[in-house]
Amino acid sequence: MYTLLNGFYKYMVKKDEYCVLILGLDNAGKTTYLEATKTKYTRKYKAMNPNRITTTVGLNIGKIDVDGVSLSFWDLGGQQELQSLWDKYYAECHAVIYIVDSSDRDRVSESKETFDRMIASEHLSGVPLLVLANKQDIPDCMGVHTVKPIFNQNAHLIGARDIMLMATSALTGDGVDEGIRWLVDCIKRNNVERPPRNHDEL
Amino acid sequence: MRILILGLDGAGKTTILYKLQVGEVVTTIPTIGFNVEQVTYKNLKFQVWDLGGQTSIRPYWRCYYGNTDAIIYVVDSADKDRIGISKDELVHMLRVTNAILVVLANKQDMAGCLTVAEVHQALGLDALRDRTFQIFKTSAVRGEGLDQAMDWLSNALQARK
Repeated sequence: MYTLLNGFYKYMVKKDEYCVLILGLDNAGKTTYLEATKTKYTRKYKAMNPNRITTTVGLNIGKIDVDGVSLSFWDLGGQQELQSLWDKYYAECHAVIYIVDSSDRDRVSESKETFDRMIASEHLSGVPLLVLANKQDIPDCMGVHTVKPIFNQNAHLIGARDIMLMATSALTGDGVDEGIRWLVDCIKRNNVERPPRNHDEL
Repeated sequence: MRILILGLDGAGKTTILYKLQVGEVVTTIPTIGFNVEQVTYKNLKFQVWDLGGQTSIRPYWRCYYGNTDAIIYVVDSADKDRIGISKDELVHMLRVTNAILVVLANKQDMAGCLTVAEVHQALGLDALRDRTFQIFKTSAVRGEGLDQAMDWLSNALQARK
């Protein structure tokens, strides 16, 4: 009887779990964005000091509950030599957040090329993409109106998947909430194509 | 806080421990048993255990996993022949502990050593999904990379509390 009730309770409170990759060039602000997201959705979360966040060579993880689902984030290193490791995670993720440094005009085309290489992967087909023009807190950075046309020139690669470009500042937390909520809606809509991670368990 | 330094024999664990503690490169002999020292880094006190890495004594590592906050896993980046063994030991270890992981790709001063991306792949770290980890290039004899690693580790340990 206990097992039955316990199982029923678990079934009732269990949330679908989805995995979200955070990608982009090095120094785009991926880890800072992850910290901002954790701060936003986790009560009493003590975030790392942004000044002490170093270049990621490895993996940072995070888990949040939002709109009745649970999101697990994988934040990977963005340096050139580490980009070859990204595709190991493609098949298992349910969404990708691609972060662009809007203050770095010199590397925006490099960022776009990396983005195109990423979305060309067959393992990512149909996966919702959220592109964030980050570092909007820096004066004189490129706004959405400048970044959007750059990332729009690849309709043939994007195909029928959901894509959205938004402005954000990981440092101040602006734009984090809107992005996550948009992404969760897309992930839920896409859950026949990509069922939640814990679907078979229980 | 308790930190373990693990890795195959000859990876440079003891050199790293004493570089952290006294800031000097000491002459070491293969560790049979363990060395334990108190290391203070930026007002944080760590109890650092350096366990011997030889084949016959690796099974005893698991006796120390309890209450461990972080594991510093040292790899000899120049030892391409044994990186596979190093991977197996790491995989074994990760199955039983959920401590924060720092991988030190040590001996970066040697010519022709593995890069961080190669170490990442050789250790099979891309299979990790539910654990924060970070790799650092280090050269214990030159003292390079250790500060960054300790900085990251103290930050990660504080955020975790």
